[in-house]
Amino acid sequence: MPGGAGNETVKHFIKEEMPKGIPGCPKNVDKKEEIPKGIPGCPKCVDKKEEMRMEKKKYSIKEDFSMLALLIIPVGVAVNFVGGQLASLLKLPMYLDTIGTIFASMLCGPWVGAVTGALTNIVTGIANPVNFAFIPVNVLAGLVTGFLARGKMFSVWWKWILSMLIMAVVSIVSSAPIVVLVYGGVTGSGTSLITAAAMAAGANIWAAFFGTEGIFTVLDRIISFLICWAVIKVIPARTLVKFGCGSNYIKEK
Amino acid sequence: MEKSYIEKIQIHKTNKVAGLHPATKFLVVIMYTICTFVLSSVSLTKIDLPLLAIPWFLVVLLLCAASGALKKCLKALKAVVFIALIIFVVQTFLVPGGEVLVRFGILRICEKGLRTAVSLSFMILDIAGIFVWLFQTTENKEISRALEESGMNYKAAYVFTSTLQMINILSDNSKTIMNAQRARGVETEGNMFIRAKAFFPTLVPLVLGAVMGSEERVLTLEARGFSMQGEKTHLFNLEKSGAEGTFKAVSILITVLVVVGRIALWIL
Repeated sequence: MPGGAGNETVKHFIKEEMPKGIPGCPKNVDKKEEIPKGIPGCPKCVDKKEEMRMEKKKYSIKEDFSMLALLIIPVGVAVNFVGGQLASLLKLPMYLDTIGTIFASMLCGPWVGAVTGALTNIVTGIANPVNFAFIPVNVLAGLVTGFLARGKMFSVWWKWILSMLIMAVVSIVSSAPIVVLVYGGVTGSGTSLITAAAMAAGANIWAAFFGTEGIFTVLDRIISFLICWAVIKVIPARTLVKFGCGSNYIKEK
Repeated sequence: MEKSYIEKIQIHKTNKVAGLHPATKFLVVIMYTICTFVLSSVSLTKIDLPLLAIPWFLVVLLLCAASGALKKCLKALKAVVFIALIIFVVQTFLVPGGEVLVRFGILRICEKGLRTAVSLSFMILDIAGIFVWLFQTTENKEISRALEESGMNYKAAYVFTSTLQMINILSDNSKTIMNAQRARGVETEGNMFIRAKAFFPTLVPLVLGAVMGSEERVLTLEARGFSMQGEKTHLFNLEKSGAEGTFKAVSILITVLVVVGRIALWIL
């Protein structure tokens, strides 16, 4: 909500000030009650203070879903969809259908990313219900990228490479059981032909899947991430600050 | 006589099956899925093939035909059938184990392979098929309205509708951008590296434009009181076809019969 952000700052400001001795503050009340009973340091008070500090650092899920984040979800889903379409139009051997998920979670945090991922597979599932089974893969991609973005893992080049690898590993590991157990190793995409060939040559179904999907998933993540990065680089700072994690990408002058 | 705007956006369906309330359709889908799992656990013939899942697929076709949308559904089912076929072929020929039934040259069909092939491909065909029926006979507007009616937050329902619109908008935009970039000399043919490079000049402006556009849409929505608390009114309302009760009763009855039959088979 526009204006909502202003209110939140005021709330935090008040909460921070409270323990410093404003009348009615829980700290004062607690001390009177608890210290005579012989509890040193007043744990209740410390707990609350700790909680407040945590709250300041923590991102609340409700705040994550601001109006702008709600509108980024459809954009993310559509970008996923268009990315997949373009990849098959350009005859690339990759899916490239998580660009929107990665983008949404890089800007708005893990939960928005997870919703984007789930909605993508639900919407594409309307046309092709096979995609329903892959909802967890896309949700996990969103969550992992979101937490990496919050951990500021996209700031230096070696952190980029690390996070890309993490993203690729997570998506391979999460999609392998679904492909192997639900679809028996083959989903009808381009890479599954290679998997089938490897299986025919006598390779284990799991080994065949990891071998072929592994390479292409890493490439897939690298391209997806580079596109997101290129977009975020050119979004002006006045727009970036409106997103949950957007301020991480603004260069300080 | 000229219709008013509110009358124009309503959906009237004369077909009783297609006009079912989305919630009822969803119940039918769930019941059908349960039946599919139960039926595919029954094995017939001497090599234990779960053959009951095959005639069960006729129910999907029957429902599609009764909704008067057989052609539309068959078109959407094509993709599902294609995947099921690939899975069937691969599983039949590649999964070893059990007795070898048939052998041609290097290809052989094993007992275990045939069993997994039949159960996997028809289970996928059945479950995906019933979802095809649900989505081909229900319009997106109806789905999002039904979601809202079932207690979903109006914001979530908006996200759903907006997503479906956004996909059309962005895929049109992507074609425009791609043509424009091609006109400027961006190569889209060649080896894989060149084609991968063409990805960037198309997607980056697309995403950027969409993000900047959504910033403006926030302002528009807020100006119309989108996040205002209070009761909302609706221009579009769902209609009931009148056959809801029968369909609910029949689908639950069939499921109960199937489950009871399965348990009876176990005991006997």
